[in-house]
Amino acid sequence: MQWLVIGGPETRRVALFQAALARQGQPPAHVVAYPDLIAGRVDLRTLVHPGTVVRIESPDRDFPTEQAILVAGAACADPEGDYARLSGPAAAALLCDKGAIRYPRQWYLGYCAVLRQIQDQLAAAPPHRLMSPPAGIALMFDKRHCQAILAAAGVPVPASLGPVASYADLRARMTATGQPRVFVKLAHGSSASGVVAYQVAGGRHQATTTVEMVPRAGGVALYNSRRIRVYRDPREIAVLIDALCRHRVQVEQWVPKAGLGARTCDLRVLVIAGQVQHVVVRLSRSPLTNLHLANERAGLAAILPRLGAAGWAAAAATCTQVMHQFPASLYAGIDLLITADYQSHVVGEVNAFGDLLYDTLHAGRDPYEAEIVALTAQARAAA
Amino acid sequence: MEVYEHSTRFAGYRVVEWRPGHPLAQAETTAYRIGQAWDEKHALPWPAKLDAFLADPASRQVPALVVGPWWDLDEGTAGTVELVVSALVAAQARLPSLTALFLGDVVSEENEISWIEQGDLSPLLTAYPQLKQLCVRGGNGLHFGPVQHAQLTTLIVQAGGLSPEVVQDVVGADLPALEHLELWLGTPDYGGDATVADLQPLLAGSRFPRLRYLGLRDSEIADEIATALAGAPILERLQVLDLSLGTLGDLGAEALLASPAIRRLTRLDLHHHYCSEAMMARLQALPIAVDTSDRQAVEDGDDESARFVAVGE
Repeated sequence: MQWLVIGGPETRRVALFQAALARQGQPPAHVVAYPDLIAGRVDLRTLVHPGTVVRIESPDRDFPTEQAILVAGAACADPEGDYARLSGPAAAALLCDKGAIRYPRQWYLGYCAVLRQIQDQLAAAPPHRLMSPPAGIALMFDKRHCQAILAAAGVPVPASLGPVASYADLRARMTATGQPRVFVKLAHGSSASGVVAYQVAGGRHQATTTVEMVPRAGGVALYNSRRIRVYRDPREIAVLIDALCRHRVQVEQWVPKAGLGARTCDLRVLVIAGQVQHVVVRLSRSPLTNLHLANERAGLAAILPRLGAAGWAAAAATCTQVMHQFPASLYAGIDLLITADYQSHVVGEVNAFGDLLYDTLHAGRDPYEAEIVALTAQARAAA
Repeated sequence: MEVYEHSTRFAGYRVVEWRPGHPLAQAETTAYRIGQAWDEKHALPWPAKLDAFLADPASRQVPALVVGPWWDLDEGTAGTVELVVSALVAAQARLPSLTALFLGDVVSEENEISWIEQGDLSPLLTAYPQLKQLCVRGGNGLHFGPVQHAQLTTLIVQAGGLSPEVVQDVVGADLPALEHLELWLGTPDYGGDATVADLQPLLAGSRFPRLRYLGLRDSEIADEIATALAGAPILERLQVLDLSLGTLGDLGAEALLASPAIRRLTRLDLHHHYCSEAMMARLQALPIAVDTSDRQAVEDGDDESARFVAVGE
């Protein structure tokens, strides 16, 4: 089989995928870098051969890629509203600024344009297999839309507070819906980028977040940080929420998560070809359980005694139900929240590139190898 | 910290989450947890839930109850602890076997410990003379008043801060059977303003003749408490001294080491502390079990005020 990956040639993800191919006796994949694709230096129509397997990987946090996507996004009209935008020349003039949260709505519009470009080129290429189609990836990268679709399909998700436009709007909706505890997330963020756990009671406010605010002329600049910050001054929290709202946010009720020993936890569940495979229990001392925050982790066995076989079966069934909304996607990483009383669960997020789980094996295979095995089995069955 | 997971055992019994309609099984050895859950739309108010629980005749055998959130987690409607207290007081005749009560098994994912609104719990102690164990989480609005109870062996109050009034009420209480006393003193940020002077009646040893376990935990004045304890008569009757979760440093540890009574304990729990490595080695050399785990590092240039208790939110 021939393999083609659109991604970062120097990234851990691609290296792990190549290693998995080698373990499966497959030839190495040809790697197309996003900036080359976006600039038209390569064309998938000439790189895809009959039977080639195409894998769209994460653009990751590579600055030239981020910049090329932001430039592409400058030309895209926003079908929804008036979010923070940057002109093409201004995007082209950006300098690398590690951790900066810069125009994620424009980035998303640009990334959708790149995904359409991939789709168009593949449509004109010889018959091939796609591990995950562009449309599914685009949907998973829109947390607001994705959660709405899951809710409509009957998948348990935290109740959404709707399209929140500002801090004042957020407070009004929290009051109207009786939700004193909410999660505010960038609609197009990943890796706990721009996430705030916000709670209000009896005149007290507390916002726990990965976002660092740095004063700038005309407002604040936002940075992702590995250090958890807690803001308690409502004026400061208002500045933070207003700044995030300029980039489009998903706001939902804060479902109390299960505890496991001296940690709060949630699950990252990797579903491949309709089967729940790799599971990581993510442990945290803060409400933010994202792996990138140097939190600890454990295997499924750590939580099974509390969850029970029936609880886990129901949770796993929910994860496969999620994938019914993405029938053409071979895999996705689902963030599953078990409630504090271990009686129920909800889907927090669906991650298109949620398969980067270090040192996690299922049936002796890492996620990449499991995906390759699933795909080759599908190809054999179709042949 | 101890407040991430719902309790799985309480007073030696397995904790089982109870929902209306669930039959009670092995009621005589189970601690049922009754609380509001996030996904209960139009949940019964807590007192109505207790009534539903009591409708099962097996509830008469229940030895322990764990009270979870009593307010509506999903729609944010208030339910005060007073309603819980009066419901439990009214149910007294229907809970003849109840000897252990945990009021506030609430984790930070449900509400911060320092945000939990407690209230006047004195009616509970009056209504349940057979109670042996009482655990309370949350210090806001907490009130005991003058306490007199002949049977209580264990009293635990977990909080982000305990007021001087609560501490005075507890250490001045008439609890002749008390064996285990645990107070999370917390920080002034959350009302934890009690001083060593407030603890004096306890330290003097004139009360609690059966006390074996003393926990003065999560304290921002752990050094002062350790220093006062080192020469205190109460130390002579303890088996376990627990100063964990606080800001204990070399000053307090030095005072403890100088006390001969420390060597007669069976266990000294200091986990979550600010002692130096050298001091930890000296503590470990004591002829008793000493827990010096979870050492907190003070960054270079930080002063004493950079010490934090473990449970301070």
